[in-house]
Amino acid sequence: MICDQCGERSASVIVKQQQQDQIVKVNLCHICAAENHSINIAFEQDPLAIHQLLSNWFPNSQASINPVRKEVATCPSCGFTFSKFLRIGKFGCASCYDAFSPQLNEIFKRFHNGNTEHNGKIPASYGTTLKIKKEIEELRKQMQISIQGENFEEAARLRDEVKILSAKLEGGIPDGS
Amino acid sequence: MAVERFLQPRASSWMTNDGKNVDIAMSTRIRLARNLNNFKFPYAFTEDEALKVDKEISSVLLDKGNELDYTFSHISIEELAELQKEILVEKHLISPYLINSHHSGSVLLSDNEELSIMVNEEDHLRIQSLQSGFQLQQAYKIANELDSLLEKNLSYAFHEKHGYLTSCPTNVGTGMRASVMLHLPALTMSHQIQRIIPAISRLGMVVRGIYGEGSEALGNVYQISNQLTLGKSEYEILQDLENMTEQIIQQERRAREAIALNSPVVIEDRIYRSLGVLTHSRLLTTEEAATCLSDVRLGIDLKMIQDVDMSILNELMIFMQPAFLQQYADKPLQPKERDFARAKLFRERLNRNGINSEGEDLA
Ligand SMILES: [Zn+2]
Ligand SMILES: [Zn+2]
Repeated sequence: MICDQCGERSASVIVKQQQQDQIVKVNLCHICAAENHSINIAFEQDPLAIHQLLSNWFPNSQASINPVRKEVATCPSCGFTFSKFLRIGKFGCASCYDAFSPQLNEIFKRFHNGNTEHNGKIPASYGTTLKIKKEIEELRKQMQISIQGENFEEAARLRDEVKILSAKLEGGIPDGS
Repeated sequence: MAVERFLQPRASSWMTNDGKNVDIAMSTRIRLARNLNNFKFPYAFTEDEALKVDKEISSVLLDKGNELDYTFSHISIEELAELQKEILVEKHLISPYLINSHHSGSVLLSDNEELSIMVNEEDHLRIQSLQSGFQLQQAYKIANELDSLLEKNLSYAFHEKHGYLTSCPTNVGTGMRASVMLHLPALTMSHQIQRIIPAISRLGMVVRGIYGEGSEALGNVYQISNQLTLGKSEYEILQDLENMTEQIIQQERRAREAIALNSPVVIEDRIYRSLGVLTHSRLLTTEEAATCLSDVRLGIDLKMIQDVDMSILNELMIFMQPAFLQQYADKPLQPKERDFARAKLFRERLNRNGINSEGEDLA
């Protein structure tokens, strides 16, 4: 049996842990077991045994074959498959987030009390880009409304604004501001 | 060697006894998880990438750290001796995960030991900010400033919808884990803690005990932290955690008052017995030392013990661990020998610092 914590060494002890109202049995190797018994919990050590939760939530995805498309979701950048992600409970790279995106909302909701979207800090360099994208989205909505109201002059004006902003996006944004 | 200064049995500033609610809140920690664009994450990257990541991050911190008035020391994990690694873990400056990793990793430590940046832990970057007492905002401010400095000079893996991308789906979004270490002897004695723990876990936060040998919380010390990292801003997460921590602190205070009122002699007896054990025993296990430390801490808070400095107790909690003891003894120690060395450490530290130890020290 493989250790539930590191997923690498073979397990030699069973540890019972209280996890969110229920007792969960975890199989650990001697190294991970020693860590769990140390004074040091300043660092989280996969308290949730993430891959264990994942495999409970997606028992069938372990087979990793999409019954409709009959294909395995694989990250083109790092080569992780969705089933590997479920098995170790970790992403291999940033592109995994796109490669596995159809299933991620469901996973994020469970880990983060129903939330799927980030609402916190944005790196300064992304900040401007994001702001422009949101503005474009808003302008497009207004444009649709104008078209439906047959207010074509206004729609044309909005279309030009979108064009200017899109050009800004493609040209990259200068630092700061 | 750069590491030497960090191995001394000297208290880091966050182990001292400053800050709000220090009688119950021992220390505060903020951790930010970040990854770089253009490199695979540590679960998938090659050794070559690991080295490049280390170089990129380290050079920014070493070159630009002074913009925030920090001087960082860069320490490669593989260049450390086993005992040195363990000491840094016992001091909470690096994680056990980092020293067991299969690829190149390092840590950059600020001179005051309040900032520790682990490179190639589970994520490329783990920024850790430590403060004494209950200081979530201050600890976050320091971590955030460093993060902003880094993002000016590095390209972070960030997703419009999901936020900061991390190896683990439980960290995505803010990448922030905020935690406070709490000493909760009265809530433990009165078993109220068993009601509190499950209630809190439903609110996106978690309370965990520091586990000893399969028993309850070692030394009645618990860590409360946010579980949720996605959907709320850093500010909201910190607010929620702050409110919850304040509530727990108040409940602990009430429980202490009740105990002192209902069984004053019993509690006084327990506190002085523990002080006796710490100042006179010849063999001290980790568990016994932690239990007695907890009692003596409580004795100071209840004003029963006047002549022991709380900061020394915080230090002893760190320095009584195996790697520190072995460094103190300057040789490898078997478990029984550690118990002897631990007892000696406690006698020396506590008696030197003013407790008039009655009875002869015959050793
Ligand atoms: Zn393991
Ligand atoms: Zn990937």
